[in-house]
Amino acid sequence: MISKKLITLAVAICATSMLFAQQTAKITVSGVIKDDDNGETLIGASIYEPKNAIGATSNEYGFYSLTLPQGNDSVSVEYSFVGFQPKTIRISLKSDVKMNVRLGTGIELQVVEVKANSYQESIRSTEMSVEEITTKEVKVIPALLGESDILKVIQLKPGIPSGSEGTTGLYVRGGGGDQNLIVLDEAVVYNASHLFGFFSTFNTDAVKDLKLYKGGFPAQYGGRLSSVIDVRMKDGNNQRFAGTGGIGLISSRLTLEGPIQKEKSSFIVSGRRTYADIFTRQINKANADKEDYNPIPDYYFYDLNTKVNFDLSEKDRLYLSGYFGRDVFAFDGDFFNFNFSWGNKTGTARWNHVFNPKLFHNLTFTFSDYDYNIETKVTGFSFKIGSDVQDANLKSDFYYNLNDRHTFRFGGNVTHHSFGVGRLKAGSDDGKVTFSGGNDFTAYSMAIYFGDEMSIGNHVKLNAGLRFSGFANEKFYVGIEPRAAAVYNVNTDLSFKASYARMYQYQHLVSTSGISLPTDIWYPSTEQIKPQRSDQIAIGVEKLLGKQYLVTNEYYVKWLRNQVDFVDGAQLFANDNLENEFAIGKGYGYGMELGIEKQEGDLRGWVGYTLALVKRGDFVPIDDTKVFAGGDSYFFPRYDRRHDFSLVLMYDVGKRWTFSGTAIYGSGDRTWMPVGRFAFQDVYGGNFQPVTPVYGERNAFRLPYFFRSDFGVTYKMFPKWGESDLNLSFYNVTNRRNAFFLYIEPQYADGVKPEKDPFAIPTGLAAKQVSLFPIIGSLTWNFKF
Amino acid sequence: MKNIFLKSKISNQLGWPFTVLFFAPFFFTACGNLEKDISLDLPVYEPQYVVECYLEPGQPFSLLLTKSTPYFEPFPDDLLNFVNNIVVDSAEVTITHDGVDYVLANAPTLNPTTFKLYNYTNPTLVPMEFDHDFSLKIITPDGKLITATTRILPVVPIDSVVVEFDEEKDTLARCLTYISDDPSTVDYYRRMIHQNSLIDSIPQQDFTTNDDYVDDRTIVFGTGYDFKEGDTIYNTIFHIERAYFDFWNSTFNSINSNGNPFGQPSSIISNVRSADDSAIGIFTGLSYYRVMTIVKK
Repeated sequence: MISKKLITLAVAICATSMLFAQQTAKITVSGVIKDDDNGETLIGASIYEPKNAIGATSNEYGFYSLTLPQGNDSVSVEYSFVGFQPKTIRISLKSDVKMNVRLGTGIELQVVEVKANSYQESIRSTEMSVEEITTKEVKVIPALLGESDILKVIQLKPGIPSGSEGTTGLYVRGGGGDQNLIVLDEAVVYNASHLFGFFSTFNTDAVKDLKLYKGGFPAQYGGRLSSVIDVRMKDGNNQRFAGTGGIGLISSRLTLEGPIQKEKSSFIVSGRRTYADIFTRQINKANADKEDYNPIPDYYFYDLNTKVNFDLSEKDRLYLSGYFGRDVFAFDGDFFNFNFSWGNKTGTARWNHVFNPKLFHNLTFTFSDYDYNIETKVTGFSFKIGSDVQDANLKSDFYYNLNDRHTFRFGGNVTHHSFGVGRLKAGSDDGKVTFSGGNDFTAYSMAIYFGDEMSIGNHVKLNAGLRFSGFANEKFYVGIEPRAAAVYNVNTDLSFKASYARMYQYQHLVSTSGISLPTDIWYPSTEQIKPQRSDQIAIGVEKLLGKQYLVTNEYYVKWLRNQVDFVDGAQLFANDNLENEFAIGKGYGYGMELGIEKQEGDLRGWVGYTLALVKRGDFVPIDDTKVFAGGDSYFFPRYDRRHDFSLVLMYDVGKRWTFSGTAIYGSGDRTWMPVGRFAFQDVYGGNFQPVTPVYGERNAFRLPYFFRSDFGVTYKMFPKWGESDLNLSFYNVTNRRNAFFLYIEPQYADGVKPEKDPFAIPTGLAAKQVSLFPIIGSLTWNFKF
Repeated sequence: MKNIFLKSKISNQLGWPFTVLFFAPFFFTACGNLEKDISLDLPVYEPQYVVECYLEPGQPFSLLLTKSTPYFEPFPDDLLNFVNNIVVDSAEVTITHDGVDYVLANAPTLNPTTFKLYNYTNPTLVPMEFDHDFSLKIITPDGKLITATTRILPVVPIDSVVVEFDEEKDTLARCLTYISDDPSTVDYYRRMIHQNSLIDSIPQQDFTTNDDYVDDRTIVFGTGYDFKEGDTIYNTIFHIERAYFDFWNSTFNSINSNGNPFGQPSSIISNVRSADDSAIGIFTGLSYYRVMTIVKK
């Protein structure tokens, strides 16, 4: 009902606004904005004509289109982008103008003005609940083991708490870890982590920028409830051959890029690999003769990003990009060996076509694959289990700048999904005994969308859109997803914003832990598992203080439906009836986010605070013979974090030194603790258990608060062949022991060995807190030529 | 000596900033203890009755009725005091089968063979009968009613036990246990294997499974090369009902979740019922087949 009213209202406003807009003749200024140094397109650059107070931003491909009133005069159009020197260009208003613009890095005197322009664009925009990070920032912020990681830096922004310490999980505005749509060059990345979630799949050298939507989702995005994380790879330097790389504590990186044909086409190849396995193999070799020695398993991960792009003509551009990454964990023993590997593959082909100065089109084909495989061999027997998910997606997006009042975005996509869930094959080598199992699903999803960014008078902008989505598996589901975002500009330094978005999610992650595991399985909506749905309303204010500080304050409330959890004692591994382990429920969350940021000058950074609450409940198992204890009432999920504070500072001292520091405080994660115990005798031959825990209310216990402070210093060197820097970082400088998990250790009298004595009785129970990371120093050498 | 030379060489070539940055991580990286004791303030817990009753055909009716305790309640000094502290006396316990009531007297009994203790027993032997339910009714000393129902399942025999020595290290052997599953029914099993003793040793393997992944009728259970010549292997296959499968798994999930950050705690999934969740436990038939094998070359 609410949806219908919103649609009607949006259509009415759109029609009225279009009538007013047709009254005077217009011209269009359009083109592509690029980095002067390397030819990379600049996403989100600001284009502003102050006389008529008309502005636009460049889209994901650097393209912009600005409609101005026709006349005999000329006007000044300002082009600006964070960290670049702005350009002002006189443009004649007589007829359409094509204006490709190159921006160079700014000189110090002008950076304040640049930032003011950029912030003013943010204040003017209907976009809210958006966070952006560039790799320049990421590289100087101190990181765990020196591995700079764009997903971990985005966790420092308000409203994006991480999962467990050191991991890349994101729990945006009360959403689950599976409710984030992570796309790399528009291809979905299903498991964006390496090393059990401690590092993300994104190699900072290959990434151009990351934009995260927490709410107010534009109509072109869909498929997950809580966030959209849009990661763009660099295009490659089309001016000259260049390289970047680094040698760190656990991995090394190398990126090569250059023109295939100067100005017209370029390539980039970027690789990264860890090397702990090289050392552990040597240790194993040195100890091979020792009888009691247990070899250390091999572990490594690597990833490779590649991209080429071609200017086919003045109006056509082609991009081809790919990602391939894998983790390998293996052990080779006398009687027993296993090989556990997992990873993502993505591929993207995009064709940009400019039909005319007002109409831009992008046709995209993407391929995504995530799989894990575990192979185990015990003499005479082998065991293989694996799961995978693959997408092939065709997508068409149009960007149409109708006039100075309306910019339309419309398009659609269709995706073929295939899911292999819990494929198991086990048996004896002689073939006499075999086990097999698993489920395969083939599904289709599709969506069409339309959005209109419209100006209503001089102070109000509205971005209204509608998305129709569908998913076909055992049943065909349709979702109607209205979207609306509005801004009221009080003046150039102050605006009030509001947004509403409904989202549907048709794929669900089968995971019970608070940590992203490679064995987590994606499962499609079926007849019994309905699509997840969320409705989010946000209001906020943006205020520019002294031209350098942007203050944002947002309040949100979110309702969640058809949330997926698992029954008590769920068998998620090797289960042909996995669906019967699901319980379906509801949830809600609300909160307030406050942020202050300064992105230019010698001293840069941001401070963020979030006050939030999230609850889930009304869970009903799909299989009514199963139990979801306490599910009928509402409970806190593990990631409910009441307070979350982060401070990030970067300070340049001269040309050579950059100091950086972060401080993070958060309420502790919630955990489910036992409140009682009983003695379980068991049957003849069974193990007597004097302490069998009885768990109390779900996640009622909160771990101690989390605090961590990191410090980093970067020293730049300028050898003849290019640039290099040494980055020294200290993770957890206060050496605080943050709780990773708790456990209870039974204590026994001297001489009692419970592993040998089936009737041993403890003398007491001691609660222990386990932390993961003490203070850790790391050194990384980075170079660029 | 070697390190000093390296340090001075680096300093000469790249200057002091490099030297400071290079060596600083090693001075500041801590390797301290990552575990510490903490005190937990847990909510108040109301103790529950705990029922364990396994109906084994040919054995007397026996039931253990105890009470759970708050998690951190101090432990008594020895096993006897521990048991005395938790057993519940003076309850009325009746098991009904095929219209016959079997009243279990409050008489603590320790089975000398199994070393299992029961505080309610009836000397009548449990009949081997698969077609009628067994019903349990307990009225506790404070007047609470606990009920449960179960049925005895047919025994699934072990078809064969094969002991194989490793070809390379011929001093160690493994054990393969074969059973035949009925493909027309969903069956649940508990598999246990002991080395040398059924009483005073921890089982080498103890797990439950169902027949979801069985391609044909044969299910095989294997072990590692853990046995020496002369060892006695006790192989046991319990044919269990779904309620026992859920109870056992939830109990061991609950135990194993302690200390496992990836684990998922679980409530105890019981088949005993009480008006206000005042009881947990299991009332089930016990059908098993056990084979003893002496390892020989």
